[in-house]
Amino acid sequence: MTIREKLGKELVFFDGGTGTILQEQGLGAGELPEIWNIEHREAIVSLHKNYLLAGADILKTNTFGANRLKFPGNEGYRLTEIVTAAIQNAKQAINEVGGKQRYIALDIGPTGKLLKPMGDLDFEDACNLFKEVVQIGVACGVDLILIETMSDSYEAKAAILAVKETCDLPVFVTTIYGENGKLLTGGDTESTVALLEGLGVDALGINCGLGPVQMKGICEQLLQYASIPVIVNPNAGLPRSENGKTVFDVTPEQFTDTMEEIAKMGAWVLGGCCGTTPEHIQMLVERCSSIAPVPIVPKERTVVSSYAQAVVIGKSPVIIGERINPTGKSKFKQALREHNLEYILNEGLTQQEKGAHILDVNVGLPEIDEVSMMEKVIKELQSILDLPLQIDTSNFEAMERAMRVYNGKPMINSVNGKQEVMEAVFPLVKKYGGVVVGLALDENGIPETAQGRIEVAEKIYRTAKSYGIESKDIVIDALAMTISSDSGSALVTLETLRRIRDEYHGKTILGVSNISFGLPQREIVNSTFYTMAMQNGLNCGIINPNSEAMMRSYYAFKALSNLDEQCGDYIAHYANQVSNVSAPAKQSDLTLAQAIEKGLKERASELTAELIQTKEALDIINEQLIPALDQVGKGFEKGTVFLPQLLMSAEAAKAAFEVIKTQMERSGQVQEKKGKIILATVKGDIHDIGKNIVKVLLENYSYEVYDLGKDVPPEKIVETAIKENIKLVGLSALMTTTVVNMEATIELLRKEKPDTKIVVGGAVLTPEYAKSIGADCYAKDAMATVHYAQEILG
Amino acid sequence: MISVDKKEVLRYLGYGRSEADIQVMRSIESAIEKLQHAAQPRWLYDVFPLQLGSENQIDFFCFKAHSKHLSKNLKGCEKVVIFAATLGIQVDLLIERYVKLQISQGVIMQAVAAAMIEQFCDECQEEIRQKMELEGWYLRPRFSPGYGDFSLNHQTEIISVLQCPKKIGLTLTDSLLMAPAKSVTAVIGLSRTQQPCHRHGCEACEKKDCAFRR
Repeated sequence: MTIREKLGKELVFFDGGTGTILQEQGLGAGELPEIWNIEHREAIVSLHKNYLLAGADILKTNTFGANRLKFPGNEGYRLTEIVTAAIQNAKQAINEVGGKQRYIALDIGPTGKLLKPMGDLDFEDACNLFKEVVQIGVACGVDLILIETMSDSYEAKAAILAVKETCDLPVFVTTIYGENGKLLTGGDTESTVALLEGLGVDALGINCGLGPVQMKGICEQLLQYASIPVIVNPNAGLPRSENGKTVFDVTPEQFTDTMEEIAKMGAWVLGGCCGTTPEHIQMLVERCSSIAPVPIVPKERTVVSSYAQAVVIGKSPVIIGERINPTGKSKFKQALREHNLEYILNEGLTQQEKGAHILDVNVGLPEIDEVSMMEKVIKELQSILDLPLQIDTSNFEAMERAMRVYNGKPMINSVNGKQEVMEAVFPLVKKYGGVVVGLALDENGIPETAQGRIEVAEKIYRTAKSYGIESKDIVIDALAMTISSDSGSALVTLETLRRIRDEYHGKTILGVSNISFGLPQREIVNSTFYTMAMQNGLNCGIINPNSEAMMRSYYAFKALSNLDEQCGDYIAHYANQVSNVSAPAKQSDLTLAQAIEKGLKERASELTAELIQTKEALDIINEQLIPALDQVGKGFEKGTVFLPQLLMSAEAAKAAFEVIKTQMERSGQVQEKKGKIILATVKGDIHDIGKNIVKVLLENYSYEVYDLGKDVPPEKIVETAIKENIKLVGLSALMTTTVVNMEATIELLRKEKPDTKIVVGGAVLTPEYAKSIGADCYAKDAMATVHYAQEILG
Repeated sequence: MISVDKKEVLRYLGYGRSEADIQVMRSIESAIEKLQHAAQPRWLYDVFPLQLGSENQIDFFCFKAHSKHLSKNLKGCEKVVIFAATLGIQVDLLIERYVKLQISQGVIMQAVAAAMIEQFCDECQEEIRQKMELEGWYLRPRFSPGYGDFSLNHQTEIISVLQCPKKIGLTLTDSLLMAPAKSVTAVIGLSRTQQPCHRHGCEACEKKDCAFRR
């Protein structure tokens, strides 16, 4: 019987702790326990045997930290030796003990590094690290893969993909939750279950960190959300330090008492982690092996997730922000062409602040490389926002790339009833997980009747099922078509929504604003149609959350439909809002220059908008903006103005420049730039605060900044400098350990692009240090960089 | 919840003893609130024997170091606490959001978080102090890799000895940056005799021209 077959027939038991027991036997602090597979074989075999005698079904190999980072192979043991020995030890123990059928789980723990963007380990590199271990495990004949103690859902995803792309073995995944029920990276049980189920693991659960008592509540949640078997491997309580030794207090009796309850709640796989011993497992098996597994009820929940939160598509309408999309937006197109991610990130943040639950992400533009842009935008958005994203593209390569690097269970926009499209999209959904939008159209176009659209929807459901994708992971787009060309079209859409809800218990989505295309005052029609659609069962509205009219429909609908307890959300949004938009309170009579000096961003843009009616753009810049910036800059240098104020002023000036820029573009003028500058935080350095301070100031002084980001390899800096013929490069490094990369960058620049000047800055640098690594200028702060730029570029 | 001393925040922002205007103070307050919400502070420590050898050799019995400054700090100690603490990754994410989109707030967030991790370490250290004093041990000021001539490389050993990645989610990058960034590793000497007046952190540092000096 394979482990897959055994699941559900009877409870399955893992062994208990390894590291904690080895410590008692003399494993030193900082010593790698995996080395014991070779140097203390007998200890490992004996430990395995004790667990087998205690009744464990599955042995975890002693390979928790076995990966290339810890065993690089240039000295000491090679990874293959360690993993092979570990599996042989488990096999030997099983052979010597005999008895019932046992299983060997290749144990895979976290790499010990944080993935990008928070750490420096690349997602694909992590995936490859895991693959190496899995390949050895498969070659040695393990029965299943256990990915355990994962505190970062992204790393768990990399490990799961590594397994799935290497073999067909069953994969079990347990994550480590804090007492607050969250992963270290912020995910909760629901978002984690969504991600893991989406990736098609065989069983999921919790291990380490907590004792059985603290795990109970979390287990309850896992059982509530999961439609696959749940694993529970607790510690023997919370660790405590006694005379410099870590001790665990929960006795086998206490452990088993709670584990019995957990088994009766519905967990199918039970075992132990740190501090648990063969005695714990023995009592656990004795008392629980006769408990019949509680049947798993499939949970018909439609869930998408980010790394930190889950969004349930169901009872309450879900708002999907539509603004990250270049269609009809010239500014957005320009941002894409210029790789101006800040603009896109701002669109994302604004929508979140306005109440979006999910953000649609579309970066399709004929002249850009959509695949790399999609990946970049998804990663950037996820580095600052915790909302789930909807990957919106018809480029399947971009779709796959985005689904792969996405941290969570994404929404995918879209598939439709065309055979060819279904064949391209469904395998991706099956592999990476996701909730996919199914457009109710196919080779024959958009059906004119609701019946026609229902038939397409049915085809989509059916085909998805043949790929192993459940209906709960499909959201049907009933298609909103403008009433300006067919006055009956809204009714068809509404009927489709209603029938999907009533006849199929399915979920629906609409790009709401399409309904009014070609009509004046579209918001009037859109907001009313939005209400009608929600009343007819619309689950997800793709709308503009910045539209007050749409948000009014949303909040009012929720309040009227008993989806807003005590009208709490409605009141929170509208109680303090005066019914008619009144003029903003006048903030005395500041000049633009004063507003900038005081760092008043909104006031600065209002004043600029007023001024531009009567004054030339250039005059505003020269008479107000630049003098104000100079004033603040001088204050900063004298020590009367401090960094936060300097930056607030810079942001106010930036807001003013935006107004001027828009006006100039309207009248066909082009704003003169003074010169081009590259800014980058050097390779190995993952903090870009200093660089961003410099950037905002340089931009205000009309320099065109090429912001290459952080952790930038020297080659990329040099390549950009050559390609754009850059005369000044600014480099930032925070640590002595990364200044070496600054030096390497300078060296390469000198060789490849000798006419480029280099200014450096950062916490550990001094003028002497800067000189010794070959920089032209050391800038002690942001203003010093501005002055140097003026000296070099004018 | 970790309290934050606004004076310390202003010091990190380069204000020295100057006052900040109301707009900046409001931003600081708002940053404190957001960061208190985001922080998932975790810490741990372990006690090891200590042997001070000749020529500033130090043996922690889990790793060895060579440092004149640390030897001075640990003089007379028989044991050592190896310590690590972090505010968690959510703090990094929050700071990153503002660093990317509103740098003025990003700078303030970063200063607040810096004050917050120091405050958190002080609280942890106080807990260790109380416990150790019951056993008759007195604490020296905590000393981190990178202080004086105590090499930053020892960060690797501290993090591995305490199993920081697994236990509190604290990791190191290849360039020895800590991730999450708002984290501290340190050693704290334990001696049988109390040292009534020792210099703390900033004042003990020999970099006297530092802009952030207290």
